[in-house]
Amino acid sequence: MKRDQPKLLKPFVILTYVLLLAPLVVIVAVSLSASPNYEFPPSSLSLRWYEAFFSNREFVRSFFQVSLVLGLGAAIISAVLGTLAAIGIVRLQFKGREALEAFFLAPLFIPEILFGAALYLIYARLGLRPSMLTLLCGHIVICTPFVIRNVTAGLVGLDARLEEAAMSLGAGRAQAFVKVALPLIQSSILSAFIFAFIISFSDINLALFISGPNSTTLPVYIFNLLLFEGDPSVAAASTIQIVIVGLLIWTVQRIFKARVG
Amino acid sequence: MRSTLARAGLLMPLTLFLVFFLVIPFLNIVILSFYTYSPTSIWIPKLTIENYRQLVEGSFITVLLRTLWLGLICTVICVVFGYPLAYFLARAEPRVKSVGLFLLLMPLMVSAVIRTFGWLVILGRNGLVNNMFHAIGFDRVGLLYHEPAVIVGLTNVFIPFMVLPLMASIERISPSTEEAARNLGASWFDVFRRVIIPLSSPGLISGCLLVYSAAISAFIVPALMGGARVQVLGRLIYDLLLISYQWPLASAITTLLVVATGVLISVALAVTRHSAKQEVSR
Repeated sequence: MKRDQPKLLKPFVILTYVLLLAPLVVIVAVSLSASPNYEFPPSSLSLRWYEAFFSNREFVRSFFQVSLVLGLGAAIISAVLGTLAAIGIVRLQFKGREALEAFFLAPLFIPEILFGAALYLIYARLGLRPSMLTLLCGHIVICTPFVIRNVTAGLVGLDARLEEAAMSLGAGRAQAFVKVALPLIQSSILSAFIFAFIISFSDINLALFISGPNSTTLPVYIFNLLLFEGDPSVAAASTIQIVIVGLLIWTVQRIFKARVG
Repeated sequence: MRSTLARAGLLMPLTLFLVFFLVIPFLNIVILSFYTYSPTSIWIPKLTIENYRQLVEGSFITVLLRTLWLGLICTVICVVFGYPLAYFLARAEPRVKSVGLFLLLMPLMVSAVIRTFGWLVILGRNGLVNNMFHAIGFDRVGLLYHEPAVIVGLTNVFIPFMVLPLMASIERISPSTEEAARNLGASWFDVFRRVIIPLSSPGLISGCLLVYSAAISAFIVPALMGGARVQVLGRLIYDLLLISYQWPLASAITTLLVVATGVLISVALAVTRHSAKQEVSR
């Protein structure tokens, strides 16, 4: 179906995308350039900045031993907490359900810089040193709302009669849920898990406040290098992050398509 | 009995977690904001409103007004660029739409640091824009470390917050409404002004409030692109906490921003809910 559209719409949309994607494209190009001067467009290509990245021990540590571990930990824990809460919200009848749901989703609306400040101060007051664990707790808070949204959407779309059928055949309520409903919302939980990982992996606002010397995440490391003008190995590290996030979002889209189609 | 057990098992873990790691930290901030600042021990538990009194002084007001102003400009630009994009995505065929959404979500999900880094390369002294200027015979200029640079960065980072709610709103407008207006001779400008804007106003309002509340507490973009000149609330909080250790004052500013955000977001949610109800009753 071809409908008429204003003539200027397409060029304007393309311009918007160019502006939106320009910073990412430039970084990928700079990371592949041989020049140390953030050259764009690059005059010659090389992988030396990737070599420089992988031979910098602190950089590699912040990537593999901090950001990746933290992302996985936050994703697993928030997937469990969020899925349980989503099931409770959709399936249980009780007073104040809407209020509780709003409370669960609240971290979505609080600017992260304010939450980071709040965590920094409570940890300082309790005398807790910044570590992977303190950062992990913060990340779980900002990741769970995404899990709850995803899983709630999956549960609401589920036909309740499927479980009733299982129960009429003799399954208990819990058994019917685990054997019938859970497999059907698997894909919701999986995409929620991936989103949670991305949120933690890309977070900078919390990490700036509450990551310690041994828990410097990749974004914080990049931020510090940018303040002191590092070499293009920063661009190489950024490109690796862009690729990982891109692949993950692409995967989530696939999962959704498989579910709808 | 059974349902009490289920409730405890399903809802309690997250509730407790959020009480410890969300509610208590913010209560602590409110309490600290009423404590007295002490240069030697950071704070002493003596109640005062001195921290809030400092918020009406000239130097703070300057930062506050600049932040609110930058947020406003950023929101307006997001509307200008966001509306056509949201309309395009809402009316696109499924394949185009899924690619378009991917290209919109990708930058949103990549760390703000990295996107800002890209702009530093583009706008820097030896960056793309300056090279183009130079090539056609202009002098190199300092594009960064002024307010316009911060506006470019903020707009770029927050525009998806505008496009997503707008798109959802426009999707609910039936294309036949537009066609009817077009068939009756309305220009696209008229269709946009008289049909699309009024019917998608809930999305517009919530998009604006989301962008605005995010922009007034931004930290990364002003810190990297604003240099020493463009001080805003987000940076002020960071500096007061981690550099000058004026925790009570930082707490007062944070409390102020939390309250402001809370009001903005509740308005956004109320608007969305109200329009959803109207739709049902129609």
